[in-house]
Amino acid sequence: MVTLNDYLILSAILFSIGLIGVLRRKNLLLLFFATEIMLNAVNVAFAAISKFYGDLSGQMFAFFIIAIAASEVAVGLGLLIVWYKKKGTLDLDSLATMKG
Amino acid sequence: MESLVYIALFAPLLGSLIAAAFGTTPKTLFTGIVTSSLLAVSMFASMILLAMAVSGAYIHVELMEWIGAGDLYIPFGFVVDEVSATMMVVVTIVSTMVHIYSIGYMEHDIGFNRFFSYLSAFVFSMLVLVMSDNFAGLFIGWEGVGLCSWLLVGFWYHKKDVTRDVNPSISPSWAANEAFIMNRIADLGMLIGLFLIYWFTGSLQYSEVFAAIGDVDMTIVYWIGIFLFIGAMGKSAQFPLHTWLADAMEGPTPVSALIHAATMVTAGVYLVIRANPIYDVVPDVGYFIACLGAFVAMFAATMALVNRDMKRIIAYSTLSQLGYMFVAAGLGAYWIALFHLATHAFFKALLFLGAGNVMHAMDDELDIKKMGALYRVMKPTAIFMILASVALAGIYPFAGFFSKDKILEVAFNEQTYILWFVLWVTAGLTAFYSFRLIMYVFFGKDRHTEWGAHPHEMPNFVLWAMSPLALLAVIAGWFEGWFHGYATNLLPDYAFSDATHHMVAMLIAVTTAVALGGIIYAIVRYRGNGPKKPTNVNSPVYKLLINQYYIPVIYENVVTKPYAKLSSMAWSIDMKVVDATVDFIANSIYGAGSTARGLQTGNLSKMLRLMAAGVAALLVAAVVYGTLR
Amino acid sequence: MDHILSVLIFLPAVAGILGFLVDKNSAKTYAITVAAIEFVISLWLWMSFDGTNSGLQFVEMFPIVSSFGINYYVGVDGISLFLIVLTTFMTMISLMSLTITDNVKNLVLSVLFLEMTMVGVFVALDAILFYVFWELSLVPMLYIIGAWGGPRRVYAAIKFFLYTFAGSLIMLVGMLVMAYLYYEATGVWSFEITEWHKFVLPFEYQLWLFAAFFIGFAIKVPMFPFHTWLPYAHGQAPTIGSVILAAVLLKMGTYGFVRFSLPMFPVASVYFIMPIAILSLIMIVYTAMVAYAQKDIKQVIAYSSVSHMGVIMLGLFAMNAEGLGGSIFLMISHGIVSGALFMLVGVIYDRKHTKLMSEFGGLASVMPKYATIFGIMLMASVGLPLTIGFVGEFLSLLGFYNVSHTITLIAGLTIILGAVYMLTLYKKTFFGPVEHEENRKLLDLNKVEMASLAPLVAVVIWLGVYPKPVLEPIDNSVKSLLSFMEEKTEALETRYDNSDEALEAIEEAKNIIVVSQNREAE
Repeated sequence: MVTLNDYLILSAILFSIGLIGVLRRKNLLLLFFATEIMLNAVNVAFAAISKFYGDLSGQMFAFFIIAIAASEVAVGLGLLIVWYKKKGTLDLDSLATMKG
Repeated sequence: MESLVYIALFAPLLGSLIAAAFGTTPKTLFTGIVTSSLLAVSMFASMILLAMAVSGAYIHVELMEWIGAGDLYIPFGFVVDEVSATMMVVVTIVSTMVHIYSIGYMEHDIGFNRFFSYLSAFVFSMLVLVMSDNFAGLFIGWEGVGLCSWLLVGFWYHKKDVTRDVNPSISPSWAANEAFIMNRIADLGMLIGLFLIYWFTGSLQYSEVFAAIGDVDMTIVYWIGIFLFIGAMGKSAQFPLHTWLADAMEGPTPVSALIHAATMVTAGVYLVIRANPIYDVVPDVGYFIACLGAFVAMFAATMALVNRDMKRIIAYSTLSQLGYMFVAAGLGAYWIALFHLATHAFFKALLFLGAGNVMHAMDDELDIKKMGALYRVMKPTAIFMILASVALAGIYPFAGFFSKDKILEVAFNEQTYILWFVLWVTAGLTAFYSFRLIMYVFFGKDRHTEWGAHPHEMPNFVLWAMSPLALLAVIAGWFEGWFHGYATNLLPDYAFSDATHHMVAMLIAVTTAVALGGIIYAIVRYRGNGPKKPTNVNSPVYKLLINQYYIPVIYENVVTKPYAKLSSMAWSIDMKVVDATVDFIANSIYGAGSTARGLQTGNLSKMLRLMAAGVAALLVAAVVYGTLR
Repeated sequence: MDHILSVLIFLPAVAGILGFLVDKNSAKTYAITVAAIEFVISLWLWMSFDGTNSGLQFVEMFPIVSSFGINYYVGVDGISLFLIVLTTFMTMISLMSLTITDNVKNLVLSVLFLEMTMVGVFVALDAILFYVFWELSLVPMLYIIGAWGGPRRVYAAIKFFLYTFAGSLIMLVGMLVMAYLYYEATGVWSFEITEWHKFVLPFEYQLWLFAAFFIGFAIKVPMFPFHTWLPYAHGQAPTIGSVILAAVLLKMGTYGFVRFSLPMFPVASVYFIMPIAILSLIMIVYTAMVAYAQKDIKQVIAYSSVSHMGVIMLGLFAMNAEGLGGSIFLMISHGIVSGALFMLVGVIYDRKHTKLMSEFGGLASVMPKYATIFGIMLMASVGLPLTIGFVGEFLSLLGFYNVSHTITLIAGLTIILGAVYMLTLYKKTFFGPVEHEENRKLLDLNKVEMASLAPLVAVVIWLGVYPKPVLEPIDNSVKSLLSFMEEKTEALETRYDNSDEALEAIEEAKNIIVVSQNREAE
């Protein structure tokens, strides 16, 4: 029997993978992947909890997130392409124009 | 009747304003004439008012409201009663004569118009002081005469600070500031006195205050008496606020005659006389006033014994005579104090004006040891000054005899024999130093030709201006009986005990003897070529006296210099502590900013790591906080 | 006529905006004209003001954010009336005496904007409106000091701005808390000061809110130890900046105490009398000593301002009609006298480009008219009777005497120490021989300077001899303010369950607040 706990554990593992990805990766594209993983980890949790409580709003939220994530990726990838064309690299350390 | 009061009061102000309009222009003789004639108008109005007051009239006018706030109501109200009418007449007579005198004395001064403007403004302030019907109005006059004294003492403001005798640095402007500041110290006392009066009687009007003073707590009345007297001490230059008076001699001589002898310095005495219902309630304060007065009388007389500066000698004698007045006022003999005030004003003004003549003749030289034998060239001046000195010494039948002798009788009658003795000795000293001055200046050896002075007598009209004062110096005392009856209509009478009555003849004899003794000793000692055995200038007593008991030096070292030091210390505290604290706070915020700036590397992954650490920390905090709750 | 206050506020602002179109050579004339019209309007306001009515007059109100109770709400009473007239008068006079020619158009337009904010502060009856004008007043002043000031102008300007700004932020928090408490108690939002006045706060809240407002106002006054921005600001500001700063901006702080602290927190005000009195004493005595140590004429006058503001503070907290009325009168008189003194320093600075006393000496012989006017202002500054300075000082000290004898006695040192530093200044600058040969050529006051100084001399003497036209409306408003404070104190006693400390403070407040001696006696 797969219980809510298992889903939540899965979600937590996925989130951690995403988080570590965000922290460790230096390539902007991979950073995007990692954020997607984190978003989807949350989606999993939403869907599972929604099923557990019998309340549909969790699943609705999951759909929202999928939609927003998609649009975010579209915009984000667009920006990345422009950036790559301009600088020829997607390395994070080269992006330090906000240095105080 | 009302208009007379206003004429007497505002004629000098009008004169002052007219003269002020020409203040920056060179000498125009008519300003002197206009101000003098307006003062004469004021004088005649005052005399008519005096005549009215004699016939029992009491005139009270209210010009308009001055300050009204809360329950406080202060009008410009003026009252003509026995005391103020007397003061008005004394003030206007002396002022008129001094004005006329000054036309001659200030003849060659470029500030001629300005001088008359100030002088008339002074008379106006003095009249406000004596005529006001409330304490606040008195304070207006009080400060007004202070201002005019500042202007007039500092009249020759362009002179440089110099070191002279014991004064480390003195100049007219320095003396003016000293006088103003010393008086301000006393004025604070006076103000506090007014505050006390207002909060405990609800008014500042004389009539209401005196009516209510009986219901006020005794301690409060004590304090009122003390604080008002502190005010009087400043204006009347009583110890320890006396140093300004001698230094004020830096001003032009007519100023010394009018302000620093006849009128302004007696304002303190006037205040005590005016506030007699208060001092009647607290005789202890009165006794203190009398003791201080006697002390100052002797203290000032001793300094006059050795001084070589003609004007300072007369200034000390003024101080000494003020002491006499305070003895009378303090012991409750208000009418006698007022009487001595009046007679003193006449003969002392005369003495100063005479000194002015001498200065004029001697090219502004003040050292009496550089004069001598001036009788030959300046006969009228010499006679005037001798008359005034005899009156000052208290020889029958001159004015000083009647008033001064009465004060001695009062001291005797109160059984304060020590006071009596002090005053008695002082009477001898007074006679001596007065005639020391006369002998050095007018008789003895001619010491002035050697340094090239060309003595000459003043123009006739100047001498004529002095003659009414001379006349009064002689005859003013004869009105004693009449004045007694008149003044005691308002002031409490002073009753002599039978024992004193029996002693009167004896007392008079003793006093006259000591005065005559002083005169004769001075004449014998200083006639011909001067003293056979010169004063030992190295003796400690002489040094103490010539250095004015070292008081100016003490003030310089104990008050003035430490204050300057403390002030610059306060400034460095302000900059190095207070402001530095503010700047420190600002700088630490700036500093925190520039430290935190290092965090902002602009590197995304580093910032993400920081963010993750922050989230973790917040999570932990939330968990901990949750469990703790 | 109904909108006279709005006209007063916005005329200089609109004229300031239109002023950008004016040719730069005629900008000064234009500004003087505007300021003169403004002054005439304020005189008209004074003439049509009903002096016997102690309440608010010429009230205008329309909502700005009605859901939060923020309104455009203005009005005047006897307390603010004369501060408005003072503002318009001193702005006009200072513009008349303006001698700066460098970039003058921007300068005069800044002054016009400043005038709007100053008038706005004094007429605002809504806390938010008040706060907006209060903060806005910093901007033109920052500009005036920072752009036309002396060598360290930027430091001085930033110090002035940040210091006062920090204080007023704390005051803003106080205002928001006050509004919230009001909302909690009544269920409606309101920032109307008149509503806040009626609202009785529990004692503990009064203490905290008093403290919050105190910091905002005290920095502006400026009270010791928050005063150090002032010498810098004055030292670096151009003459016109110093004149307005000393004459009007400082009065905003003391006005704030009258408008907010006293009526809103009467018991806390009484509770804090002693600490405030001691700070005021330090201001009076200590800054008078610092003033004596100064070498620069302008700094002497700057520190003397602080010293005189101490007397104003004492009068404010005297809690009786004599002291409070005198204190408000002293605000007016100090505005005129210190403004005049700064203008006089400006005169000499224009001629010699130095303000050091040691560079002068003997000026009375060279510039007699200048010396005379300086002398008159000096005497007004040291509080000589029959000048404007005496009335306020006398009443303030008289009033506080009822609270504490000792403190008044020490505060009275102001009349001595004031004379000490002012007379020393005068002696060093004007008396003695002319020591620097080049000073012999200094010109006496010219016509423009005479024209701007003569009205000040006239006012100084007129209000010294006959203060009634000003003192009477002030007195009426002050009396109603005090009886209002008294009622509020009594209401506090009955309305809440008070702690012992609170009860003690209420008792004390009842004793100290004196509306009228006669009434007490009954």
